Amino acid sequence: MKIAIPHSLLYYYYFPLWDTFFKELGFEVVDTGPTTKDILDKGSKAAVSDICAPIKIFTGHVIEGLNMADYVFVPRFARIKKPEYFCPKFMGLPDIIEGTVEESKGRVISPIINEKNNENISSPKIYEMLAEMFGFSHREIRLAMRKAEEVFKRFKNLMHKGLSCDKALDSYRGGRWEEDLKKVKKDGDITIAVLGYVYDVYDSFISMDVIKKLEALGVNIKTFEMIPQEVAYDNLKHYRKRLFWTFSNRVLGAGLHYLKDPEVDGIIHVTAFGCGPDAIVGRFLQYESDVAGKPFTTLRVDEHTGEGHMVTRIEAFVDMLRRKKWARVSEVL
Amino acid sequence: MKVSFPYMGSAIVYKKLFEFLEHEVIMPPKPTQRTMDLGVKYSPEFACIPLKMVMGTYLEAIEKGAKVLVTSGGHGPCRAGFYGDTHRNILKSLGYDDVELIIFDAPQDNWKAFFRNVQKIRNGVPWHKVINRMYTLYRFVQKLDELEKMVQKIRPYEVNKGQTTQVWNQIQEKFDKIKTRKELYRVYEECKQMLLSIPTRKVEEKDIIRVGIVGEIYVVMESSINFGIEEILGNLGVEVERSLYLFEWINDNLVPWILRPKRFKEIIKKGQRYIKILIGGHAVETVGHIIDFKERGFDGIVHLMPFACLPELVTQSLIPKISKEVDIPILSLPIDEQTGKANMLTRIEAFVDLLKNRKKGETKEVFIDNIQEHVQEERVVMV
Ligand code: SF4
Ligand code: SF4
Repeated sequence: MKIAIPHSLLYYYYFPLWDTFFKELGFEVVDTGPTTKDILDKGSKAAVSDICAPIKIFTGHVIEGLNMADYVFVPRFARIKKPEYFCPKFMGLPDIIEGTVEESKGRVISPIINEKNNENISSPKIYEMLAEMFGFSHREIRLAMRKAEEVFKRFKNLMHKGLSCDKALDSYRGGRWEEDLKKVKKDGDITIAVLGYVYDVYDSFISMDVIKKLEALGVNIKTFEMIPQEVAYDNLKHYRKRLFWTFSNRVLGAGLHYLKDPEVDGIIHVTAFGCGPDAIVGRFLQYESDVAGKPFTTLRVDEHTGEGHMVTRIEAFVDMLRRKKWARVSEVL
Repeated sequence: MKVSFPYMGSAIVYKKLFEFLEHEVIMPPKPTQRTMDLGVKYSPEFACIPLKMVMGTYLEAIEKGAKVLVTSGGHGPCRAGFYGDTHRNILKSLGYDDVELIIFDAPQDNWKAFFRNVQKIRNGVPWHKVINRMYTLYRFVQKLDELEKMVQKIRPYEVNKGQTTQVWNQIQEKFDKIKTRKELYRVYEECKQMLLSIPTRKVEEKDIIRVGIVGEIYVVMESSINFGIEEILGNLGVEVERSLYLFEWINDNLVPWILRPKRFKEIIKKGQRYIKILIGGHAVETVGHIIDFKERGFDGIVHLMPFACLPELVTQSLIPKISKEVDIPILSLPIDEQTGKANMLTRIEAFVDLLKNRKKGETKEVFIDNIQEHVQEERVVMV
């Protein structure tokens, strides 16, 4: 049996877990691969026009996955941390797919992820619906999940040690793991925190590979995945009320953390056109950066953004950070 | 305290509430283009339209002298829960340090804060009076909603164009003056007679067109932002009913759980046929009401949503499917500060034509593909 895992949304964060889990159960797992123009077009055509770019892209990956496999994996993310939730579109994701992709009927595997406090989403009970669907025993599911959880913890560890999500994924895929840590780039002269949801930052159609471009300019990168959840939340303590959305809180918390980090010279917020929660996250990040006196910029790709234009903007930002830093250094000398 | 509040739907009800608590009420003006402009100017660009409109309303109420603004908070997972905080921030940054914003979050989120707020707005009125007057208000809302439902049934058939709306305005003025329960019942009877004496033409059941209006609460309830869609439809000869009336909203949300009408739970259950879990906003209710309207023999649905509204985009994604499976035409209208009235009118007229033809059996088409139309002006063109 073949199951496709759409290379989109939380794929970037959870792929090692799901991949291991389904393989342990004897599925053949196919990855729909990085977003292409074709996937984007298919998704845009099927999805409602006003919905955010990531959901359009996800829809495209689902259509692609249906061509490649018997089933497509579309989890329903309700929550992984009480009292927070996911963005309503994540909560209704399988419903959206049912409504917009006709051929998905009966071919979607959608466990409900509704956990009070389990970022690893490794409770076997979440996946028990597979027992009904395919006749696995509960024991089989539990054992497969146990294995998957270990892999996921190892994967997360790589990120906490400084590998960005996509590099950790490469390590996982290549089975190299810790060896890759040696490759963490630390020799740049400036450091930028690139903040945003994994599906924005690592999707080359949304961020236009901002991380690779920055690295090519000799910049060290920090991202929200590199700091543990607890640390991110610690930074949110002074807010009267947390945001409702788990990953928004983590992006914001990481932002506050990096604003205090002397190594970090500036912040880039990557956001997708049409994102509702980011209207709030972006405003908070901007405000806090102003208070902290650290340069901040938003990268939002929309119809006016050509790749050339974006490169120019990144270069200008990097130059500005460099000038600032060297001015400071020469003052000290 | 000079108190004001967001303007939404039957605003005289909120006015009554604060009058009963013996506050000096600053009535916020009905939202206009200026309200919108003010709101847009001072709100975050990507905030939802209700947030912007309410911002504008606050600023206008402050101009008129309001010192205290009272609103509800709402709890996740949608952005509405942050309206209050965002508004408060903006007011502060505009220098209105002397204006207080009281946000009523759901009591179970924070009982203490809730009762502190209650004490503040209770304004020292003795509890037995508060309870008595709140009961009057409860009936007030009920009666007003009943009359509004009558208006929606009479307007399409009035002989003299515009008469029903005129009477409805008079009714609201009369209600505005009511002070006691006894008065309420008397005025209600009087108003009912006023409505019943409007000359109407006879229509046969087979020619009646009924449209249900569903969607996000603010754009459904507030006519100034939805271009008075109920009136537009009524004038086109269509009976309308909304998914939301204040009285039902109170019953669904404020009345203790045990006393809650079964109806609310039924609607949710119907909605879960398409959206399996509650996802915030009114998405599940929206779907539930679509199915319910169909079951009650309605001919079409207008779905109103703020542009890019998170939960309603989930609903919108399901509309072609629901429309086909449930067999009812649905017109989905996203609204933002750029939505033009002319464009909206054309689409509504085309929709009503379709409903009429369908009724006559001339077409089986169920779904106006307004989505296609939007694809032309695709806002997210990437690379
Ligand atoms: S968080 Fe933003 S980008 Fe992600 S699904 Fe929700 S609206 Fe879209
Ligand atoms: S329900 Fe829609 S309009 Fe209301 S806060 Fe959520 S996104 Fe905004």
